[in-house]
Amino acid sequence: MAPDKVKQENNGILSDADKVKGLAIMMNPKSVAIVGASQNPDKVGHVILQNYLDVGYSGKLYPVNANAAGKILGLESYRNITEIKKPIDLAVIAIPAKFTSELITECHKAGVKSIVVVSSGYAEIGEVKLEQELIDLANKYKIPLLGPNCLGVMDLKSRVDTLFLPTFKIDRPSIGGVSFVSQSGAVGSSTLDIIANEGFGLSKFISYGNASVIDETDILNYLAKDEDTKVILYYIEGVKRGRAFIEAAKKATLKKPIVVLKGGRTEAGSKAAHSHTASLAGSYEAYDAVFRQFGLIRADDIQDFVSFSKIFVSQPKCTGNRIAIMTNGGGVGVVGTDSLYSNGLQLAELSEESKKALKKALPPIVGVNMPIDMAGDADDKRFSATLDIISKDPNIDAIMAITLFQTPGADSRVASTLIHYGTTMEKPMVVVSIGGSYTAVHKMMMERSGIPVYDSPNTASRALAALIGYSKYLHRMRK
Amino acid sequence: MPGKLVDYVEAYKMLGAYEIKAAEAKYVSSAKEAIEFSHGGEPLAMKVISEKALHKSKSGLVRLGLSKPADIEGAFEDLSAKAQKIKPYKILVQKMVKGDKEIIVGGKTDEQFGKLILVGLGGIYVETFKDVAIRVCPINEYDANEMLDQLKSGKIIAPDEQSRKMLTNLLLKVSKFILDHKEIEELDLNPVIIYEGGYCAVDLRLMR
Repeated sequence: MAPDKVKQENNGILSDADKVKGLAIMMNPKSVAIVGASQNPDKVGHVILQNYLDVGYSGKLYPVNANAAGKILGLESYRNITEIKKPIDLAVIAIPAKFTSELITECHKAGVKSIVVVSSGYAEIGEVKLEQELIDLANKYKIPLLGPNCLGVMDLKSRVDTLFLPTFKIDRPSIGGVSFVSQSGAVGSSTLDIIANEGFGLSKFISYGNASVIDETDILNYLAKDEDTKVILYYIEGVKRGRAFIEAAKKATLKKPIVVLKGGRTEAGSKAAHSHTASLAGSYEAYDAVFRQFGLIRADDIQDFVSFSKIFVSQPKCTGNRIAIMTNGGGVGVVGTDSLYSNGLQLAELSEESKKALKKALPPIVGVNMPIDMAGDADDKRFSATLDIISKDPNIDAIMAITLFQTPGADSRVASTLIHYGTTMEKPMVVVSIGGSYTAVHKMMMERSGIPVYDSPNTASRALAALIGYSKYLHRMRK
Repeated sequence: MPGKLVDYVEAYKMLGAYEIKAAEAKYVSSAKEAIEFSHGGEPLAMKVISEKALHKSKSGLVRLGLSKPADIEGAFEDLSAKAQKIKPYKILVQKMVKGDKEIIVGGKTDEQFGKLILVGLGGIYVETFKDVAIRVCPINEYDANEMLDQLKSGKIIAPDEQSRKMLTNLLLKVSKFILDHKEIEELDLNPVIIYEGGYCAVDLRLMR
């Protein structure tokens, strides 16, 4: 092969920088072509177009359908993407897999800047050749491509939304600082639906499916630099480029917390088990080692995504593990104390000054030892007096405020007090509130104001432990 | 897939170049040679080495604490008889190492992340407790310390500053060894016996 030929081929291959740039375009396109858009509500392309209209996307929309005649959902339609003859930042492809290769070439002719292929029917069902064609064409024409076999992207700010899930079936989150990346569409959509009902809000959602061109490492590189993203959630089953992923993760974890849930933990051990090491250090264990070593926060379950996000978006970093517990219900304080220790934390001890101050400020029925049992009739004044003292105690690194709204003294004024201290003091605070509809109202009130509220002491302790673990990592790496 | 076990004596030399200490050993072809290796009564271990026997202690192919000439001779004959089924084989005699704790130090090549290093509670407890910590190579001193902290048995295998320092040093050396020897797909030093003021790997399994 002649040297100039090799060079030419290399020039055609998408670099990591090209893919990061492609993601940025995908997330904030001025114009979107939806290929496979249809008037028929059973078609994926119909749902995608309808969603763009529902969420109020303000850029240009071009429905494309080979059989189109007239308008689709009120918009002028095109039989072929090359007929549009205007700039196209993003093409969303929702047509059968066998037609997609041809379409990529047409996208190139039409000057498309980025592509999301939501269609399935590629390597995941053994159609390796079709997927390889997609990869080769995307590289040949230098068009960054996400998918196939994915839900695509969603950006709450730019209102791009390629998800083929109708807005009445899945709630869309409010705008926030968490970005969520999922290899799996199912984990992605169900988690998204839960996040929508949480107070912290979402910045971006990226479902990348088969990762044929843009993979998890590219997405990590992109989100690490994205200013709207404060916390990254990752669901992965595997990474394509292990060492590149490590390099990306090393840099990204210094900038923002990355919570990762690895699917496939129980996968059978290594086939080549000649040694103890080989059988003990299987694929999952290798991922686990990478996460520990490079500062990623390990989630055990989908629920961890929510409980970790809450604390990371709202609370300050904290490298100490001495936790004060204040409670208006003695028993839950005991359970809370246990949960600290089972998560590697410890109950703080009050300083002598704090003890004196508490004795003075609180009625005699309140003991001034940890956990501080403020008694069932504690009202906002008692919460306030306690918080005022312990927030200044140098022996305390973080606070768990157990607040049971079933009690006579607990009402919206208590919630307001917690919001006041939780948003102004320098220490992290978590609230534990267990209960039904009355509790739910106050939970919402506090969470919308940036106070993480948990429905069990253990979930709260897990979240605190995650925050402290990551803070310690940062502290060490920045030293 | 890793295939070939590196011969003990060769592995001993390779590790020795990195100051990784292992039990001195020699292949013997007669009971007489084995008795000579014991230098008049130093306790020996005797093992059958064969590609066909991966777990020697389970298969009854290891004899420990041999010091009397009669015992050495008896063990040699017994193991030779047992080894007939797993030819080709060799018989290795090794200086016995006395200690109170056993750990495993391992390495492997992961298809995604490359070389990994492992440490854990060793010997017969490896499979039962699976108390191990793993990192990607190269590791630094902090990583080595964290690996020990991660183990439930960390306080048992490294109870004081001195033993901790010794083990973190060992881990750093093994990390360097496995990175330098790309061809070694898997490595088991199991058990590594820890005694007052030192350690010694008594079984070396390097696969390439």
